[in-house]
Amino acid sequence: MRASVVLTIAGMAVVTYLTRAPLLLALARRPLPTRLRLWLRLIPLAVLPALAVPMVLAPGGQLVQSVAEPRLWGAVAVVVLAGRRVNLLVSVTAGVAIVAVLRAIG
Amino acid sequence: MFVYGTVFGGLAVQAGLHAVEVLAMSVLVFAGAAQFVAVPMIAGDASPLSVILTTYVVNMRHYLMAATLAPSIGAFSRWRLALIAHVVNDESFAVSVSRSRPPDAGIFLGSAAAIAAAFVGGVAVGTLIGGLVAEPERYGLDFAFPAVFLALVATQLRRRGDWLVAVGSALVALAIAVRLPGNWHIVIAGLTVSAAGALAGDPEDAR
Repeated sequence: MRASVVLTIAGMAVVTYLTRAPLLLALARRPLPTRLRLWLRLIPLAVLPALAVPMVLAPGGQLVQSVAEPRLWGAVAVVVLAGRRVNLLVSVTAGVAIVAVLRAIG
Repeated sequence: MFVYGTVFGGLAVQAGLHAVEVLAMSVLVFAGAAQFVAVPMIAGDASPLSVILTTYVVNMRHYLMAATLAPSIGAFSRWRLALIAHVVNDESFAVSVSRSRPPDAGIFLGSAAAIAAAFVGGVAVGTLIGGLVAEPERYGLDFAFPAVFLALVATQLRRRGDWLVAVGSALVALAIAVRLPGNWHIVIAGLTVSAAGALAGDPEDAR
């Protein structure tokens, strides 16, 4: 194991535990304030596209210039399928397959 | 969860992580979405601080789950609760709240144990398989990480406000990513756009 990766994993483990343990141990009987609950629910819905869309449309910080980019069409397929409640792994596999096929013919 | 673990283990090894690192992460962090997020960052030599901070933000939703579960599992001693905290995750939470409200402690612990075993076992198998595939780009496997993130979001979008937050965050992140090197667009867009959504949105959307 590499030292920087060990440090990263240890840090990830600590901060993740800090998201789980405090409120469980506090045994809070009061529900969290509504707007706070809404924020906590919306965070993953904002973080995941913030991560994925630049990976697809601006890899390495350069905007994709062509609509023929295979990742673009893979992404469209994944969003449409998963949005229609198709199984997550099936949606991902379909997206990956589309990228592979478009690269093979492109 | 076994298959999800296998996919994660396989892709993480493909991305260049060692099998021991992948397994250690799966046992110690035990948070599938955050691990999927961390792997391409680690593989791309992102700074440990940016990976850890992004992990924290991705996992902040656990506060919501822990607060919901807390009243149901108050019967356990504090050191047991400290151990139980580690297995709070999306899937066991979803199973226990779908069966009963307030959630039942037995159902939560049983599903959490089964999910932990299936996930870590799947990761172990995945790390063995992942090393076998040469030329991952030829099979589109480099696209698997953004594909997982997009699928995770798309399955959770229920209301108009959810869509506005997801699309708005993607656009803000894109605008930052083409100007600012590194991975800060993830945390900046993720926290600010979700906060804006929480302030402007319908409180009923918290469900």
